[in-house]
Amino acid sequence: MNTGFYWILKALLSHYWRHPWQTLFLTIGLVAGVGLWSAVQIINQHAEASYQQAQSLLGAQASHWIRSRRDEGIDQATYIELRRAGFRQVIPVIELEVSTAAGVSISIIATDLLALPETVFDGEQSTQDFSRTWLEFVQPPYRAWVPAVLAAELDLEEGTQLELRDGRKLPTALIQAREQQGRRVLVDIGAAMSLSGSNRFNYLGVGEITPAEYARLAASLPGSLELIENQQHLDLQDLTASLHSHLTAMSLLSFAVGLFIVFNAVRFSLWYRRATLLDLRLMGCDLRHLLAAILLETLVWSLIGTALGFVLGVALAQVLLPGLGASLQSLYDATVDAELGLSPWTLMQAWSITLIGLLWALTWPLYRQLQRSSFEAGSTDVMLADETTARRRLAFAALLLACLAWIAYAQIETVTQGFVVLGMILFAAAWILPFLLAQVLSLVGSLLPQRYLLGRWMISDGWSQLPALRSAMMALLLALTANLGVGSLVDSFRDAFVGWLEVRQSADIYLRATNLDYQQLEMNEINASWLADSNHRIGVSTRWGGRPALIRGTNPVAPDSTVFPLSRWQGDSPASALKAWREQPGKVLVNEQVHFLAGVEIGESIALPTDKGLRDFEVVGVFYDYGNPYFQFYLPDHVVASNWSHHYSRGIALWLNPQNKNAMQQAEASLKALGAQPGDWISQAQIRRLSIGIFDRTFAITAAMNLLTMIVAAIALLASLLAILHERMPQFAQWRALGLRQSEQLLLVATPLLVFCAIVWLLSIPLGALLSWILIHKLNIISFGWSMPLVWEIGPALQLAVVVFLICAVTLLSISFQWRRQMPQALAQLGETV
Amino acid sequence: MLIISVSIFAMLSIKNLCKSYHYAEVRQDVLHQLEFEMSAASSVALLGESGSGKSTLLHLIAGLDRPDSGEINFAGYRIHSERESILAELRRSQMSLVFQQFHLIPTLSILDNIRFQAALCQRFDNHYETELIDRLGLAGQLDKYPHQLSRGQQQRVAIARSLLHKPQLVLADEPTGNLDENSSLEVMGLFSDLVKQAGSSLLMVTHSQAMAEFMDRRVWLHNGKLAETG
Repeated sequence: MNTGFYWILKALLSHYWRHPWQTLFLTIGLVAGVGLWSAVQIINQHAEASYQQAQSLLGAQASHWIRSRRDEGIDQATYIELRRAGFRQVIPVIELEVSTAAGVSISIIATDLLALPETVFDGEQSTQDFSRTWLEFVQPPYRAWVPAVLAAELDLEEGTQLELRDGRKLPTALIQAREQQGRRVLVDIGAAMSLSGSNRFNYLGVGEITPAEYARLAASLPGSLELIENQQHLDLQDLTASLHSHLTAMSLLSFAVGLFIVFNAVRFSLWYRRATLLDLRLMGCDLRHLLAAILLETLVWSLIGTALGFVLGVALAQVLLPGLGASLQSLYDATVDAELGLSPWTLMQAWSITLIGLLWALTWPLYRQLQRSSFEAGSTDVMLADETTARRRLAFAALLLACLAWIAYAQIETVTQGFVVLGMILFAAAWILPFLLAQVLSLVGSLLPQRYLLGRWMISDGWSQLPALRSAMMALLLALTANLGVGSLVDSFRDAFVGWLEVRQSADIYLRATNLDYQQLEMNEINASWLADSNHRIGVSTRWGGRPALIRGTNPVAPDSTVFPLSRWQGDSPASALKAWREQPGKVLVNEQVHFLAGVEIGESIALPTDKGLRDFEVVGVFYDYGNPYFQFYLPDHVVASNWSHHYSRGIALWLNPQNKNAMQQAEASLKALGAQPGDWISQAQIRRLSIGIFDRTFAITAAMNLLTMIVAAIALLASLLAILHERMPQFAQWRALGLRQSEQLLLVATPLLVFCAIVWLLSIPLGALLSWILIHKLNIISFGWSMPLVWEIGPALQLAVVVFLICAVTLLSISFQWRRQMPQALAQLGETV
Repeated sequence: MLIISVSIFAMLSIKNLCKSYHYAEVRQDVLHQLEFEMSAASSVALLGESGSGKSTLLHLIAGLDRPDSGEINFAGYRIHSERESILAELRRSQMSLVFQQFHLIPTLSILDNIRFQAALCQRFDNHYETELIDRLGLAGQLDKYPHQLSRGQQQRVAIARSLLHKPQLVLADEPTGNLDENSSLEVMGLFSDLVKQAGSSLLMVTHSQAMAEFMDRRVWLHNGKLAETG
């Protein structure tokens, strides 16, 4: 680096040293933006890596599954026979859901480590620790490998035993997260069998298998078992892709808000340095050197922003991952490793996006600065004229973008396209904002009578503040809109989900035990005192339209079958559609996923794969099915029983006698007497608690990101106002010299700010509603295949108004404090002579 | 038309220079077929009424603006048509500018400000730096920042910066315009002495006759042309 370049760089960078607040705000903007973006990227990539890793560990062997056609499990003898027949790639798996003594529901997965191929433990077998751990796992009294996150949630310490609701205990816990067990407890197959009191496995996993072996294995299986291809990995990627897309879009939105702050900070840093840039040019600095120095500065900022932002991103990901992991497992049965793995690729992506963002923020102001002749570039008048031009250009670009979004809206077919259009709408709104604020100022100015001096002064101060507040107001608008829009989406979902649970899960008890005779339960007169109604549901798992699908058989006259929450129906009313479904053969109800994702309409015939080949059913109703990633078809139970011989029981729903106050206790006693284990049934309250828990965990990440976005926007506002304060200090000193009190000065500065914030808040309400509407009625349908009614309440908007007011109050307080500190010096410099 | 005295050793020569501006679609000729020459190691005061085009002429000579027509030749360079990079190089190493508003870099210390242009053109003389600092009375201010100095002191820093690299030509635009009368005379005396000592030429825009007296020659800009005065 030659001396000249070093001095140019020194002159430019000294700005940051001398203005630590600006340096801090630029850093915060960058770090917050990068942090939010990279947190979601880390989570997404980690989840994807976990899906693949999980496959390679337990799933490498499971290219296929052997399952009971009637969901009755597989007995031990069949497994032993298969192994003896030379099928070394077959491994047993048991999956259990149990409740702890504290009422927490946990999943247990069990396999036979001895049956796993050696490759699973490559590089580990030789270590002494591994051998001991392994032996303890497979030999009585066994060990339960509990992931650290779950152990922390359960307050479980290593070496202790977890007590279940029925008093039994799990094997001694080893806090062990090496296995891809996600939040599940891993135990040996022997331990699981004694725990379940059954000698049956849920299914057998089959490792890599040649076509010849496949044929031999299929031929060796008894008729009650089927050999099916394991498509779980593919399904997982398909099913979770939309959720991850949503998260990415949220992170990009946060990044955009961060980018506005960076844009703001970069603009201010150039604004402040316009005198320095002018001096440098007067002293003969080469334009290329100046550009190179600014680009180098940008590079340094991008590295600082990326490094610190990535650290924040990792910390955020660590906080958000357990909740999201739990949701992914609950909703999709997708296992996400609790231990965070970081990839250099994510870091590179974060750096690239930061550098591009910074260059974008820098390019236009720098171009304008350098395009001007030396003296013009330093003139405040020219800069203000630039502002007017910039406002008009932005407004024009906003209109153009809005038109493009309008045209593109009808063409949206994918989630990505949807988010691009959403981005266009949001940016159009942000870009037109400065023009709107200027128009409001002009309008108020023209309406205000000449004699209202203070009012006119406030308007004129508004014009002075507008250029500096431009980007901060845009960032605030984006943050408020995102908060209201996404908040409304979540509220709508919660309301719809809770309402749906009320209708669909109206039974008091849900029982699922393979060893019970449900008919006996329903018929036994002893149970009549507490049992008001029941619905024994049966089902068949299949694939339809390229996705996993469930064909469900339900008692058509049961309480929950008569009040199906239909979003579309055939005939005059939902009741008439349900009547036709109950009474006429060949009618089917499908979930919204079938309607939206497979394009099936009311009145259309769909072919379902029955035992006797494909059979057509006419769709008479489409029901809401929130959060379900699968296709579902509801048929009367007798139709399922007659068309699918391998149907299996999906449990029974029991409605208690409302007249009997002790119905629940009697029901539990009766079920125990019939041989059901306490873990076999679950009450409606538990289901609701579990479901809402999953829901809240899933959307905790959204709430966290909303909060952080608001913080970032608040910082932008604070940074801008402090910048104004610094720039206009001599002017404020003049006001003081004219006899204005500090409170009057504060009122002059605060009024335009509060008016701007109020306008931004008002604008964010319809924009937030629009965002929410598009998310629900377009993107949700494309992503997940279900819709819901939009819930829009004024409460969250009012809460945000309070937040915005508080941000303004804090900002004005800090201004007041700064005035106290800096005013004496500014006053001393007034009219200074030598 | 009065022709300004011509020397065959002219360091700066201007021929037939025209410059006009457009204000609200009305053309205003600021400089019209202006002729001027200046020899090395000389000083010239450029006088004229407000708005007569004095600063415009200075900016054209410094290559900060382009003429409509005519020639400006300086030290073998054709300022009117050179590329921006050449003009930047010239401003950096052969010229310096001093303004009424000082144009110091606010975020650099006084010492760094003084050294800045000399460092840019890598022409640095430690002894001369010490001498300049002493003669301008800045020795106790070197670690401070511009805003901590009075205007008179800031102008002394600007003068030190403009001379440290010993340029051929110093262009000054009302350098004492921000100072009171006594300080102006003191600073101007120092400035003209130091310029002579450095062997530089000085072209100074002023509207003060008293300041103009410090210069070897005085020229008057009127109606876009220059005329020699007493």
